[in-house]
Amino acid sequence: MILKYDLSQENLALLSLPSGEEICYCVPYDIDENGDFLDDSYIVATQKRIVVLRHGERREQYMLSDCEKIASEPQIDCGLFLIQMHGEEHIIARFSGKHLSRFSYVARGLMMFLSGNMNLVSSDEYERTCPKCHRALPGTKQCPHCSKQGGGTAKQFLSMLTPYKKQLAVIFTVMSLAAIVTLLNPEIQKHLIDDVLYDRKGTLPQAYFFLSIIFGLSIGMVVINITKAYLCAKLGSTLSKDLRAKLYHKIQTLSLSFINDRRPGELMNRVVHDTNRVKMFMEDVFCNMFTVVIMFVFDIIYMLILDVKLALISFAFMPFGLILSTAFKKNIHRRFHRQWQKDDDVNSSLQDVISGMSVVKSYGKEAAEAKHFNELADSFAKINSKNEVFWAVFFPMLSFAMGAGVYLITYFGGVNVLNGRKSPGELLQFINYTSMLYMYLNWLTNLPRQLMNLVNSVERINDVMSQEPRIIDREKATELSINGSVEFRHATFGYKSYKPVLEDIKLSIKPGEMIGLVGASGTGKSTMINLIMHLYELDDGELLIDGKDIRDIRLENYHSQIGVVLQETFLFSGTILNNIKFAKPDATYEEVIRAAKMANAHDFICRTPDGYNTYVGERGFTLSGGERQRIAIARAILNEPKLLILDEATASLDTESEYLIQKALERLTNGRTTFAIAHRLSTLKDADRLVVIDGHSIAEIGTHNELMEQQGIYYKLVTAQLEMQKV
Amino acid sequence: MAPFGKTPPSGGDHEDFNLEQMEKETEEMLKLRYINKDNAEFKRTDGGFVSVRIGEEFYPRVQVVRMFPFSDPEKYISIRTPDEHSKEIGIIEDMKNVTKETAQMLTEQLNLRYFTPIITKIVNIKEEYGYAYFEVVTDRGACRFTINMGGHAVVHLSETRILISDIDENRFEIPDIMKLTTKELKKLDLFL
Repeated sequence: MILKYDLSQENLALLSLPSGEEICYCVPYDIDENGDFLDDSYIVATQKRIVVLRHGERREQYMLSDCEKIASEPQIDCGLFLIQMHGEEHIIARFSGKHLSRFSYVARGLMMFLSGNMNLVSSDEYERTCPKCHRALPGTKQCPHCSKQGGGTAKQFLSMLTPYKKQLAVIFTVMSLAAIVTLLNPEIQKHLIDDVLYDRKGTLPQAYFFLSIIFGLSIGMVVINITKAYLCAKLGSTLSKDLRAKLYHKIQTLSLSFINDRRPGELMNRVVHDTNRVKMFMEDVFCNMFTVVIMFVFDIIYMLILDVKLALISFAFMPFGLILSTAFKKNIHRRFHRQWQKDDDVNSSLQDVISGMSVVKSYGKEAAEAKHFNELADSFAKINSKNEVFWAVFFPMLSFAMGAGVYLITYFGGVNVLNGRKSPGELLQFINYTSMLYMYLNWLTNLPRQLMNLVNSVERINDVMSQEPRIIDREKATELSINGSVEFRHATFGYKSYKPVLEDIKLSIKPGEMIGLVGASGTGKSTMINLIMHLYELDDGELLIDGKDIRDIRLENYHSQIGVVLQETFLFSGTILNNIKFAKPDATYEEVIRAAKMANAHDFICRTPDGYNTYVGERGFTLSGGERQRIAIARAILNEPKLLILDEATASLDTESEYLIQKALERLTNGRTTFAIAHRLSTLKDADRLVVIDGHSIAEIGTHNELMEQQGIYYKLVTAQLEMQKV
Repeated sequence: MAPFGKTPPSGGDHEDFNLEQMEKETEEMLKLRYINKDNAEFKRTDGGFVSVRIGEEFYPRVQVVRMFPFSDPEKYISIRTPDEHSKEIGIIEDMKNVTKETAQMLTEQLNLRYFTPIITKIVNIKEEYGYAYFEVVTDRGACRFTINMGGHAVVHLSETRILISDIDENRFEIPDIMKLTTKELKKLDLFL
């Protein structure tokens, strides 16, 4: 996202920047104090001041030294840029949703200036519209239209194809053959008519001869088409399979922040739909594209050679046909789009009612809902029947109109034949070429849309492929057998650089210590754990494991030594055995059973119909939350982790399973450095030390008794929970 | 029953957790406190906001929120604290219940908070590869915006009243599509 727009020379001159002062941020604002749209207006920030520019005029100026706080405050569909001076907040600028996140970054950057940190913030968020051509970007960094002067995506697509050069060469040969055979057919027909049939010039064997050629060509055409379709389908599937594999691999190496920044379905869409689109393109379009283009060109040349005048007449009809068919398609698209929308409405209403059936029934609203649904279904049916009628009436009319060129050719050509200036065979040949021309023309009008679909998909695929994973093994990263000491040194981190979640964390943990993390929700407990798991990297400061920077430990090696039990345990589709062995696939049966026993999971596993081979996961045997949790504990025990992370591991469980899990956890945490988050503070009673996080940093630290004596935040939380229990 | 060995000493500098107080607060949240010209005094601040004094209480900046922004924008205005928790200070049932001057002040604040331009004229809608590019005139001036055709960019508030969300999450309103010209309606047709 752009945080520093380029200013025009006139605007730059208004700033009269002294040497040594530079523009750090420059963002447009687009609403004036009356609430009207504005253009050419900017908030410019240097290391020293904030200047407001409007319409080539310099308005207010604020020295950073006078500012106490700088903020961007979201409102409804707009935002305010505020500066606090002398204890009072002042509105500096107002902007629409377009610049909302831009201003948040700038405000954060300026707050950093105020705190003496002169580093600039940058934003990894993508622009939503291309700054050059103002088209919407399909969730990518580069604009498919403008990237590298338009040749970019084509080049990328070609580079996707390079590994399949051999197949492509074969396909091209087949395509050329198809073009030759198709164009040859009318030529042979001409000879059959003129040399054999007309005026009974020829003999029966001659007729057989030409007929067999025509027959041979038709057979050849079928064979060629089958081969072509087969080869293209094969290439398309291989290509999309390879792309999918590459994308999947890439997504796994990318940091969680890249994945979390995107809507849940989006990456899945890219892996599934965008690669599928490439495949469809190869099968439906690419397969015919060159054949059609070759034929189209040669068709025109042939026609011109045969009869310039007639050719020009039929060409004159081309724009007419083109306009007609585009208009028709547009209309059809419009009509059917509405139909789909209505269909969508009907479906979602149905889904609404079915999933909320108990509410509908308990309030006795069946009749009202049925009426509402009937109305929707009615309007859908109306549109549907209207569209079908339209299609039935207009499509034949369109075909007739499109064929008008052919009728005209037949007329003029026919006159020529009667005058003896042209043979009947030639006329037939010419008519054949004309119909072909219109057919290809129709096909070619679809090409731009299909190409654009492909370009967007290729761009979306490449957008992922060109991402650099933010957490990668450093060159000097080595393996480390973890002992269990963890140290945060002035650690600062935020998921968005302008919004720190943890600031200046200082904490040193001895091997084998159990640390309970306490704090209100959203204070950064889980974030701290994400950092320890090295799913994210610190923005500032250091995180040391056994005195070694976490970034210098090989990722895979590090992760293999961590055990995690979360509130909601995710079981992969597969057997219980495989789920327990997830982190240690070579474990023996005995090891698995031992781990399951330690986790108090063995007994319930034996009660399931297929024991350790019971299939669980999305469509498998349903386990209760507590049972899943115990499988997760067994998984962690089996792995013998050096660092253990428990994130609300016992929340939302009934008392009995909680007891069993508590016991299992005790066995698991014994002698291991453990970080535990729990909302219910009683579950942290075994912790050696408790760390209370509040306001982005560590507020209190100590044993339970120490913190109770301090009577701070922890004390308040504990008494609050006790009071609630009394109630 | 207490899972912790030691009972906490009472008193101290810190505020104790007080169930009674909490209950009082929750009770207070239930109350509807109406604000009118007699019990509250609103004033403009130098920074461009509004402050309010209600009896003993003084709020240096308040947030002015519509409870029914679509169905009744001028009634039931909630006056709230501007912080994260945004507690309700009181409710103005109708702008008529406050002085003209106050109503004016609060309307300014509402205009600052809400920004949903009303489309008065559709100049052009261009459709290209899944996005529609609008060129319109609004009550806030001419503007261009882009919507995603795949999503639910157009919401019907009623049969004739629509709200259009663009890709930047701005919203534009057409209060009555029947008042558009036939030509404009035809352009918009695809999205209705």
